Amino acid sequence: MLEALARSDIRMRYGRGRLTMVKWLLDPYAAAGVYLLLVAFVLDRPGHAAGLSLACAIVPFQLVLMTVLNSLTSVQSRRSIVVNMRFERALIPLSSAVAEAVGFVATLTLLVVMMVAYGVEPTAAVLWLPVLVLVTFAVAVAVAYPVALVGLWFPESRPIMLSLTRAAFFVAPGVVALDQIAGHTADWLKANPLTGLFEAYRSVFLEGVSPAAWELLLPCAFAVVTLALFVPLFRHEGPQFAKLVE
Amino acid sequence: MGIQFHFDRQRRVLSPTLARIRRGGPEPWALRGVDLVAEPGDGIALVGPTGSGKTTLLRLLGGILAPDEGSLTVRGELGTLLSPQAGLVGLLTGRENAELLGVLVGMSPPEARAAVAPIREMSGLGDSFELPVSSYSEGMRARLGFAVAAQRAVDLLLLDEVHEAMDHEFRGAMAERARAVRGRGGIVVAAGHDHPVLATLCDRAVWMESGAVRRDRDFHEVVDT
Repeated sequence: MLEALARSDIRMRYGRGRLTMVKWLLDPYAAAGVYLLLVAFVLDRPGHAAGLSLACAIVPFQLVLMTVLNSLTSVQSRRSIVVNMRFERALIPLSSAVAEAVGFVATLTLLVVMMVAYGVEPTAAVLWLPVLVLVTFAVAVAVAYPVALVGLWFPESRPIMLSLTRAAFFVAPGVVALDQIAGHTADWLKANPLTGLFEAYRSVFLEGVSPAAWELLLPCAFAVVTLALFVPLFRHEGPQFAKLVE
Repeated sequence: MGIQFHFDRQRRVLSPTLARIRRGGPEPWALRGVDLVAEPGDGIALVGPTGSGKTTLLRLLGGILAPDEGSLTVRGELGTLLSPQAGLVGLLTGRENAELLGVLVGMSPPEARAAVAPIREMSGLGDSFELPVSSYSEGMRARLGFAVAAQRAVDLLLLDEVHEAMDHEFRGAMAERARAVRGRGGIVVAAGHDHPVLATLCDRAVWMESGAVRRDRDFHEVVDT
Protein backbone atom coordinates (compact mmCIF):
# COMPACT_ATOMS: atom_id res chain seq x y z
CA MET A 1 0.00 0.00 0.00
CA LEU A 2 2.89 2.32 0.83
CA GLU A 3 4.42 1.60 -2.56
CA ALA A 4 1.12 2.32 -4.32
CA LEU A 5 0.65 5.63 -2.48
CA ALA A 6 4.24 6.73 -3.08
CA ARG A 7 4.09 5.68 -6.73
CA SER A 8 0.95 7.76 -7.26
CA ASP A 9 2.66 10.70 -5.55
CA ILE A 10 5.70 10.36 -7.81
CA ARG A 11 3.53 10.18 -10.93
CA MET A 12 1.75 13.35 -9.89
CA ARG A 13 5.06 15.07 -9.17
CA TYR A 14 7.15 13.97 -12.14
CA GLY A 15 4.52 13.02 -14.69
CA ARG A 16 5.01 10.24 -17.22
CA GLY A 17 6.85 9.55 -20.45
CA ARG A 18 10.36 10.09 -21.74
CA LEU A 19 10.97 13.38 -19.97
CA THR A 20 10.31 11.89 -16.54
CA MET A 21 13.98 11.10 -15.95
CA VAL A 22 15.07 14.57 -17.09
CA LYS A 23 12.57 16.22 -14.75
CA TRP A 24 13.66 13.93 -11.95
CA LEU A 25 17.28 15.02 -12.39
CA LEU A 26 16.55 18.69 -12.96
CA ASP A 27 14.03 19.19 -10.16
CA PRO A 28 16.52 19.04 -7.28
CA TYR A 29 19.04 21.14 -9.21
CA ALA A 30 16.40 23.77 -9.78
CA ALA A 31 15.50 23.74 -6.11
CA ALA A 32 18.91 23.36 -4.47
CA GLY A 33 21.46 23.92 -7.20
CA VAL A 34 20.58 27.53 -7.91
CA TYR A 35 20.74 28.35 -4.21
CA LEU A 36 24.04 26.53 -4.00
CA LEU A 37 25.54 28.45 -6.92
CA LEU A 38 24.43 31.77 -5.45
CA VAL A 39 25.86 31.20 -1.99
CA ALA A 40 28.99 29.29 -3.05
CA PHE A 41 30.15 31.36 -6.00
CA VAL A 42 28.38 34.75 -5.96
CA LEU A 43 28.81 35.41 -2.25
CA ASP A 44 32.38 35.33 -0.98
CA ARG A 45 32.61 32.64 1.69
CA PRO A 46 35.70 31.60 3.64
CA GLY A 47 36.87 28.03 4.24
CA HIS A 48 37.99 24.98 2.30
CA ALA A 49 35.78 23.89 -0.64
CA ALA A 50 32.98 26.25 0.40
CA GLY A 51 30.60 24.98 -2.29
CA LEU A 52 31.05 21.36 -1.25
CA SER A 53 30.61 22.28 2.42
CA LEU A 54 27.36 24.03 1.53
CA ALA A 55 26.21 21.11 -0.62
CA CYS A 56 26.72 18.83 2.41
CA ALA A 57 24.07 20.89 4.18
CA ILE A 58 21.75 21.55 1.24
CA VAL A 59 21.47 17.94 0.09
CA PRO A 60 20.01 16.50 3.33
CA PHE A 61 18.06 19.68 3.96
CA GLN A 62 16.43 19.38 0.55
CA LEU A 63 14.81 16.08 1.53
CA VAL A 64 13.56 17.53 4.81
CA LEU A 65 12.24 20.70 3.15
CA MET A 66 10.51 18.88 0.30
CA THR A 67 8.98 16.39 2.72
CA VAL A 68 7.63 19.27 4.80
CA LEU A 69 6.24 20.91 1.66
CA ASN A 70 4.57 17.68 0.54
CA SER A 71 3.34 16.70 4.00
CA LEU A 72 1.62 20.02 4.65
CA THR A 73 -1.03 19.10 2.07
CA SER A 74 -0.59 15.33 2.08
CA VAL A 75 -3.99 14.55 3.62
CA GLN A 76 -5.92 17.11 1.58
CA SER A 77 -4.28 16.03 -1.66
CA ARG A 78 -5.61 12.52 -1.00
CA ARG A 79 -9.04 13.81 -0.10
CA SER A 80 -10.84 11.67 -2.66
CA ILE A 81 -9.55 8.43 -1.12
CA VAL A 82 -9.72 9.70 2.47
CA VAL A 83 -13.48 10.31 2.20
CA ASN A 84 -14.15 7.19 0.15
CA MET A 85 -12.33 4.30 1.75
CA ARG A 86 -10.82 2.90 4.89
CA PHE A 87 -7.07 2.40 4.79
CA GLU A 88 -4.14 2.95 7.12
CA ARG A 89 -3.95 6.75 7.30
CA ALA A 90 -0.57 6.57 9.05
CA LEU A 91 0.94 5.64 5.68
CA ILE A 92 0.16 9.08 4.23
CA PRO A 93 3.12 11.04 5.70
CA LEU A 94 5.41 8.08 5.16
CA SER A 95 4.46 7.91 1.49
CA SER A 96 5.14 11.66 1.17
CA ALA A 97 8.65 11.12 2.50
CA VAL A 98 9.19 8.11 0.23
CA ALA A 99 8.09 10.12 -2.82
CA GLU A 100 10.48 12.93 -1.91
CA ALA A 101 13.28 10.44 -1.30
CA VAL A 102 13.18 9.62 -5.01
CA GLY A 103 14.10 13.22 -5.79
CA PHE A 104 16.64 13.12 -2.98
CA VAL A 105 18.58 10.38 -4.78
CA ALA A 106 18.96 12.77 -7.71
CA THR A 107 20.06 15.54 -5.33
CA LEU A 108 22.98 13.37 -4.20
CA THR A 109 24.59 13.96 -7.58
CA LEU A 110 25.16 17.55 -6.42
CA LEU A 111 27.76 16.20 -4.01
CA VAL A 112 29.56 14.43 -6.85
CA VAL A 113 29.52 17.60 -8.97
CA MET A 114 30.94 19.66 -6.10
CA MET A 115 33.63 17.09 -5.26
CA VAL A 116 34.75 17.16 -8.88
CA ALA A 117 34.59 20.98 -8.99
CA TYR A 118 36.80 21.33 -5.87
CA GLY A 119 39.06 18.37 -6.69
CA VAL A 120 38.12 16.52 -3.50
CA GLU A 121 38.83 12.81 -3.89
CA PRO A 122 36.46 10.33 -2.28
CA THR A 123 37.79 8.12 0.51
CA ALA A 124 36.54 4.87 2.04
CA ALA A 125 34.33 7.05 4.25
CA VAL A 126 31.83 7.26 1.36
CA LEU A 127 30.78 3.77 2.43
CA TRP A 128 28.86 5.63 5.15
CA LEU A 129 26.54 7.00 2.46
CA PRO A 130 23.76 4.41 2.97
CA VAL A 131 23.77 5.21 6.69
CA LEU A 132 23.63 8.94 5.98
CA VAL A 133 20.74 8.41 3.59
CA LEU A 134 18.87 6.30 6.14
CA VAL A 135 19.34 8.86 8.93
CA THR A 136 18.27 11.69 6.63
CA PHE A 137 15.20 9.71 5.61
CA ALA A 138 14.39 8.96 9.26
CA VAL A 139 14.49 12.68 10.10
CA ALA A 140 12.31 13.48 7.06
CA VAL A 141 9.75 10.81 8.01
CA ALA A 142 9.75 12.04 11.60
CA VAL A 143 8.95 15.64 10.64
CA ALA A 144 6.33 14.47 8.12
CA TYR A 145 3.88 13.33 10.84
CA PRO A 146 3.60 16.53 12.91
CA VAL A 147 3.75 18.65 9.78
CA ALA A 148 0.90 16.71 8.12
CA LEU A 149 -1.23 17.23 11.22
CA VAL A 150 -0.42 20.93 11.42
CA GLY A 151 -1.19 21.34 7.72
CA LEU A 152 -4.55 19.68 8.27
CA TRP A 153 -5.46 21.36 11.55
CA PHE A 154 -4.23 24.85 10.65
CA PRO A 155 -4.20 25.17 6.83
CA GLU A 156 -3.53 28.90 7.13
CA SER A 157 -0.21 28.16 8.86
CA ARG A 158 1.37 26.42 5.86
CA PRO A 159 3.50 29.40 4.76
CA ILE A 160 4.69 29.85 8.36
CA MET A 161 5.64 26.17 8.57
CA LEU A 162 7.74 26.51 5.44
CA SER A 163 9.43 29.62 6.82
CA LEU A 164 10.15 27.82 10.10
CA THR A 165 11.68 24.91 8.21
CA ARG A 166 13.91 27.27 6.26
CA ALA A 167 14.81 29.01 9.53
CA ALA A 168 15.89 25.61 10.91
CA PHE A 169 18.52 25.54 8.15
CA PHE A 170 19.97 28.82 9.39
CA VAL A 171 19.97 27.84 13.07
CA ALA A 172 22.10 24.90 12.05
CA PRO A 173 25.56 25.10 10.47
CA GLY A 174 24.08 25.23 6.98
CA VAL A 175 25.93 28.11 5.36
CA VAL A 176 28.95 27.93 7.68
CA ALA A 177 30.46 24.68 9.04
CA LEU A 178 30.25 24.02 12.78
CA ASP A 179 34.02 24.34 13.30
CA GLN A 180 33.84 27.93 12.03
CA ILE A 181 31.32 28.91 14.70
CA ALA A 182 32.85 30.12 17.94
CA GLY A 183 31.86 29.79 21.59
CA HIS A 184 28.73 28.34 23.11
CA THR A 185 26.76 28.98 19.93
CA ALA A 186 28.30 25.86 18.41
CA ASP A 187 27.10 23.81 21.41
CA TRP A 188 23.60 25.22 21.17
CA LEU A 189 23.40 24.50 17.47
CA LYS A 190 23.90 20.80 18.22
CA ALA A 191 20.39 20.76 19.67
CA ASN A 192 19.12 21.17 16.12
CA PRO A 193 18.92 17.67 14.57
CA LEU A 194 19.95 19.16 11.23
CA THR A 195 23.34 20.08 12.73
CA GLY A 196 24.34 16.44 13.16
CA LEU A 197 23.11 15.61 9.67
CA PHE A 198 25.00 18.46 7.99
CA GLU A 199 28.20 17.71 9.87
CA ALA A 200 27.95 13.98 9.12
CA TYR A 201 27.80 14.73 5.38
CA ARG A 202 30.80 17.12 5.75
CA SER A 203 32.77 14.47 7.64
CA VAL A 204 32.23 11.91 4.89
CA PHE A 205 32.41 14.01 1.71
CA LEU A 206 34.51 17.03 2.68
CA GLU A 207 36.93 15.63 5.24
CA GLY A 208 36.87 12.03 4.07
CA VAL A 209 36.47 10.59 7.57
CA SER A 210 33.81 8.62 9.38
CA PRO A 211 31.12 10.77 11.01
CA ALA A 212 31.34 11.29 14.77
CA ALA A 213 28.84 9.27 16.78
CA TRP A 214 26.88 12.34 17.93
CA GLU A 215 26.43 13.46 14.33
CA LEU A 216 24.31 10.38 13.64
CA LEU A 217 22.88 9.66 17.07
CA LEU A 218 21.34 13.08 17.70
CA PRO A 219 19.28 13.12 14.49
CA CYS A 220 18.32 9.46 15.14
CA ALA A 221 17.20 10.30 18.68
CA PHE A 222 15.15 13.20 17.34
CA ALA A 223 13.51 10.91 14.78
CA VAL A 224 12.71 8.20 17.33
CA VAL A 225 11.22 10.61 19.87
CA THR A 226 9.21 12.50 17.25
CA LEU A 227 7.87 9.29 15.71
CA ALA A 228 7.01 7.89 19.15
CA LEU A 229 4.99 11.02 19.89
CA PHE A 230 3.32 11.74 16.59
CA VAL A 231 2.62 8.40 14.89
CA PRO A 232 0.18 7.38 17.67
CA LEU A 233 -1.39 10.86 17.58
CA PHE A 234 -1.71 10.69 13.78
CA ARG A 235 -3.33 7.25 14.00
CA HIS A 236 -5.68 8.51 16.70
CA GLU A 237 -6.70 11.42 14.48
CA GLY A 238 -7.06 9.32 11.32
CA PRO A 239 -10.78 8.55 11.80
CA GLN A 240 -11.45 12.31 11.98
CA PHE A 241 -9.74 13.23 8.70
CA ALA A 242 -12.89 12.86 6.59
CA LYS A 243 -14.49 15.63 8.69
CA LEU A 244 -11.56 17.98 8.18
CA VAL A 245 -10.80 17.61 4.48
CA GLU A 246 -14.33 18.42 3.27
CA MET B 1 -24.14 5.89 17.87
CA GLY B 2 -23.37 9.47 16.94
CA ILE B 3 -21.01 11.76 15.08
CA GLN B 4 -20.26 15.26 16.32
CA PHE B 5 -18.64 18.15 14.51
CA HIS B 6 -16.63 20.81 16.34
CA PHE B 7 -16.03 24.34 15.06
CA ASP B 8 -13.86 27.18 16.28
CA ARG B 9 -14.91 30.83 16.43
CA GLN B 10 -14.09 31.26 12.72
CA ARG B 11 -16.40 28.29 11.99
CA ARG B 12 -13.54 26.05 10.86
CA VAL B 13 -13.98 22.34 11.53
CA LEU B 14 -11.82 21.03 14.37
CA SER B 15 -10.91 17.49 15.28
CA PRO B 16 -12.10 16.46 18.79
CA THR B 17 -8.49 16.57 20.02
CA LEU B 18 -8.07 20.14 18.88
CA ALA B 19 -11.52 21.10 20.13
CA ARG B 20 -10.34 20.42 23.69
CA ILE B 21 -7.86 23.27 23.27
CA ARG B 22 -9.74 25.65 20.96
CA ARG B 23 -13.36 25.62 22.00
CA GLY B 24 -15.54 28.51 21.01
CA GLY B 25 -17.76 27.53 18.11
CA PRO B 26 -20.85 25.36 17.78
CA GLU B 27 -20.61 21.60 18.29
CA PRO B 28 -23.55 20.11 16.39
CA TRP B 29 -24.27 16.41 16.12
CA ALA B 30 -24.36 15.27 12.50
CA LEU B 31 -25.75 11.96 13.69
CA ARG B 32 -27.16 11.04 17.07
CA GLY B 33 -29.03 8.16 18.62
CA VAL B 34 -28.84 6.05 15.49
CA ASP B 35 -29.54 2.40 16.26
CA LEU B 36 -29.52 0.05 13.28
CA VAL B 37 -29.12 -3.66 12.81
CA ALA B 38 -28.58 -5.10 9.32
CA GLU B 39 -29.05 -8.80 8.68
CA PRO B 40 -27.41 -10.88 5.95
CA GLY B 41 -29.16 -10.30 2.62
CA ASP B 42 -30.48 -6.87 3.57
CA GLY B 43 -30.64 -4.07 1.03
CA ILE B 44 -31.07 -0.81 2.92
CA ALA B 45 -31.77 2.54 1.29
CA LEU B 46 -30.90 5.66 3.26
CA VAL B 47 -33.32 8.36 2.23
CA GLY B 48 -34.13 11.82 3.48
CA PRO B 49 -33.41 15.47 2.76
CA THR B 50 -29.94 16.83 2.06
CA GLY B 51 -28.01 17.24 5.31
CA SER B 52 -29.98 14.57 7.14
CA GLY B 53 -26.89 12.45 7.90
CA LYS B 54 -27.01 9.82 5.15
CA THR B 55 -23.42 10.33 3.96
CA THR B 56 -22.14 10.57 7.53
CA LEU B 57 -23.82 7.27 8.40
CA LEU B 58 -22.31 5.60 5.33
CA ARG B 59 -18.85 6.90 6.28
CA LEU B 60 -19.37 5.54 9.76
CA LEU B 61 -20.34 2.13 8.37
CA GLY B 62 -17.36 2.24 6.02
CA GLY B 63 -14.90 2.85 8.87
CA ILE B 64 -13.98 6.22 7.38
CA LEU B 65 -15.26 8.02 10.48
CA ALA B 66 -15.22 6.64 14.01
CA PRO B 67 -18.31 7.13 16.20
CA ASP B 68 -17.99 9.95 18.74
CA GLU B 69 -20.50 8.14 20.92
CA GLY B 70 -21.80 4.60 20.92
CA SER B 71 -20.29 1.70 19.06
CA LEU B 72 -20.43 -0.02 15.71
CA THR B 73 -19.65 -3.56 14.65
CA VAL B 74 -19.13 -4.41 10.99
CA ARG B 75 -18.26 -7.95 9.97
CA GLY B 76 -16.85 -8.97 6.60
CA GLU B 77 -15.20 -7.34 3.61
CA LEU B 78 -16.17 -3.80 2.69
CA GLY B 79 -16.76 -2.23 -0.71
CA THR B 80 -17.28 1.54 -0.73
CA LEU B 81 -18.30 4.08 -3.35
CA LEU B 82 -18.99 7.07 -1.19
CA SER B 83 -18.46 10.09 -3.38
CA PRO B 84 -19.00 11.09 -6.99
CA GLN B 85 -15.19 11.21 -7.14
CA ALA B 86 -15.33 7.49 -6.27
CA GLY B 87 -11.93 7.71 -4.59
CA LEU B 88 -10.19 8.69 -7.82
CA VAL B 89 -7.16 10.99 -7.99
CA GLY B 90 -7.63 13.56 -10.75
CA LEU B 91 -4.01 13.81 -11.89
CA LEU B 92 -3.67 10.05 -12.36
CA THR B 93 -4.95 8.17 -15.41
CA GLY B 94 -7.73 5.62 -15.22
CA ARG B 95 -5.14 2.83 -15.33
CA GLU B 96 -3.04 4.37 -12.54
CA ASN B 97 -6.13 4.95 -10.42
CA ALA B 98 -7.22 1.36 -10.98
CA GLU B 99 -3.86 0.12 -9.69
CA LEU B 100 -3.86 2.47 -6.70
CA LEU B 101 -7.45 1.77 -5.68
CA GLY B 102 -6.96 -1.94 -6.21
CA VAL B 103 -4.20 -1.94 -3.60
CA LEU B 104 -6.17 0.33 -1.27
CA VAL B 105 -9.16 -2.00 -1.33
CA GLY B 106 -6.96 -4.88 -0.27
CA MET B 107 -5.43 -6.46 -3.37
CA SER B 108 -1.73 -7.26 -3.52
CA PRO B 109 0.19 -5.17 -6.10
CA PRO B 110 0.37 -8.12 -8.59
CA GLU B 111 -3.36 -8.74 -8.11
CA ALA B 112 -4.07 -5.04 -8.66
CA ARG B 113 -2.03 -5.03 -11.86
CA ALA B 114 -3.74 -8.20 -13.07
CA ALA B 115 -7.13 -6.60 -12.36
CA VAL B 116 -6.42 -3.60 -14.60
CA ALA B 117 -7.49 -5.32 -17.84
CA PRO B 118 -10.87 -6.50 -16.47
CA ILE B 119 -11.42 -3.05 -14.91
CA ARG B 120 -10.76 -1.38 -18.26
CA GLU B 121 -13.12 -3.80 -19.96
CA MET B 122 -15.87 -3.46 -17.38
CA SER B 123 -15.66 0.33 -17.13
CA GLY B 124 -16.11 0.63 -20.90
CA LEU B 125 -13.91 3.73 -20.91
CA GLY B 126 -11.94 2.72 -24.01
CA ASP B 127 -9.00 4.99 -24.77
CA SER B 128 -10.05 7.39 -22.00
CA PHE B 129 -8.72 4.79 -19.57
CA GLU B 130 -5.21 6.07 -20.36
CA LEU B 131 -6.14 9.73 -19.78
CA PRO B 132 -6.08 11.65 -16.48
CA VAL B 133 -9.27 11.22 -14.51
CA SER B 134 -9.59 15.01 -14.24
CA SER B 135 -10.78 14.89 -17.87
CA TYR B 136 -13.59 12.43 -17.01
CA SER B 137 -17.24 13.26 -16.55
CA GLU B 138 -18.89 12.32 -13.27
CA GLY B 139 -20.49 9.30 -14.94
CA MET B 140 -17.12 8.08 -16.25
CA ARG B 141 -15.62 8.39 -12.78
CA ALA B 142 -18.51 6.47 -11.29
CA ARG B 143 -18.02 3.73 -13.91
CA LEU B 144 -14.33 3.41 -13.10
CA GLY B 145 -14.91 3.46 -9.34
CA PHE B 146 -17.59 0.81 -9.67
CA ALA B 147 -15.43 -1.36 -11.94
CA VAL B 148 -12.64 -1.32 -9.32
CA ALA B 149 -15.05 -2.10 -6.47
CA ALA B 150 -16.58 -4.94 -8.48
CA GLN B 151 -13.28 -6.83 -8.67
CA ARG B 152 -13.62 -8.08 -5.10
CA ALA B 153 -16.31 -10.13 -3.46
CA VAL B 154 -17.58 -7.95 -0.62
CA ASP B 155 -19.94 -8.61 2.27
CA LEU B 156 -21.00 -5.00 2.74
CA LEU B 157 -21.42 -2.70 -0.26
CA LEU B 158 -21.87 1.00 0.54
CA LEU B 159 -23.05 3.39 -2.19
CA ASP B 160 -23.55 7.13 -1.82
CA GLU B 161 -25.33 8.70 -4.79
CA VAL B 162 -22.64 7.28 -7.08
CA HIS B 163 -25.26 5.14 -8.80
CA GLU B 164 -27.19 8.32 -9.61
CA ALA B 165 -24.29 9.60 -11.72
CA MET B 166 -24.34 6.46 -13.87
CA ASP B 167 -26.06 5.94 -17.20
CA HIS B 168 -28.90 3.46 -17.66
CA GLU B 169 -26.66 0.58 -18.76
CA PHE B 170 -24.38 0.88 -15.77
CA ARG B 171 -27.25 1.23 -13.34
CA GLY B 172 -28.33 -2.19 -14.51
CA ALA B 173 -24.86 -3.59 -13.83
CA MET B 174 -24.89 -1.95 -10.41
CA ALA B 175 -28.29 -3.46 -9.57
CA GLU B 176 -27.06 -6.87 -10.69
CA ARG B 177 -23.99 -6.50 -8.52
CA ALA B 178 -26.10 -5.48 -5.52
CA ARG B 179 -28.31 -8.53 -6.03
CA ALA B 180 -25.24 -10.77 -6.18
CA VAL B 181 -23.88 -9.32 -2.93
CA ARG B 182 -27.20 -9.80 -1.16
CA GLY B 183 -27.65 -13.25 -2.70
CA ARG B 184 -24.40 -14.34 -1.08
CA GLY B 185 -25.66 -13.17 2.30
CA GLY B 186 -24.01 -9.76 2.06
CA ILE B 187 -25.56 -6.37 2.77
CA VAL B 188 -26.05 -3.36 0.50
CA VAL B 189 -26.57 0.11 1.94
CA ALA B 190 -27.24 2.87 -0.59
CA ALA B 191 -28.01 6.54 -0.03
CA GLY B 192 -29.59 8.87 -2.57
CA HIS B 193 -32.54 10.86 -3.76
CA ASP B 194 -33.45 8.83 -6.85
CA HIS B 195 -36.01 6.50 -5.28
CA PRO B 196 -36.75 4.38 -8.41
CA VAL B 197 -33.03 3.57 -8.70
CA LEU B 198 -32.79 2.82 -4.97
CA ALA B 199 -35.77 0.47 -5.33
CA THR B 200 -33.71 -1.69 -7.70
CA LEU B 201 -31.00 -2.07 -5.03
CA CYS B 202 -32.90 -2.23 -1.75
CA ASP B 203 -36.08 -3.57 -0.16
CA ARG B 204 -35.78 -1.75 3.14
CA ALA B 205 -35.57 2.02 3.67
CA VAL B 206 -34.39 4.17 6.52
CA TRP B 207 -35.77 7.70 6.48
CA MET B 208 -33.36 10.14 8.09
CA GLU B 209 -33.86 13.69 9.28
CA SER B 210 -31.59 15.99 11.28
CA GLY B 211 -29.10 13.20 11.97
CA ALA B 212 -31.67 10.77 13.37
CA VAL B 213 -33.63 7.78 12.05
CA ARG B 214 -37.32 8.68 11.67
CA ARG B 215 -38.61 5.51 9.98
CA ASP B 216 -37.08 2.11 9.29
CA ARG B 217 -39.38 -0.25 7.38
CA ASP B 218 -40.17 -1.81 4.01
CA PHE B 219 -38.85 0.37 1.17
CA HIS B 220 -42.19 1.35 -0.34
CA GLU B 221 -43.82 1.83 3.05
CA VAL B 222 -41.19 4.44 3.90
CA VAL B 223 -40.70 6.10 0.53
CA ASP B 224 -44.33 6.23 -0.63
CA THR B 225 -45.65 7.84 2.56
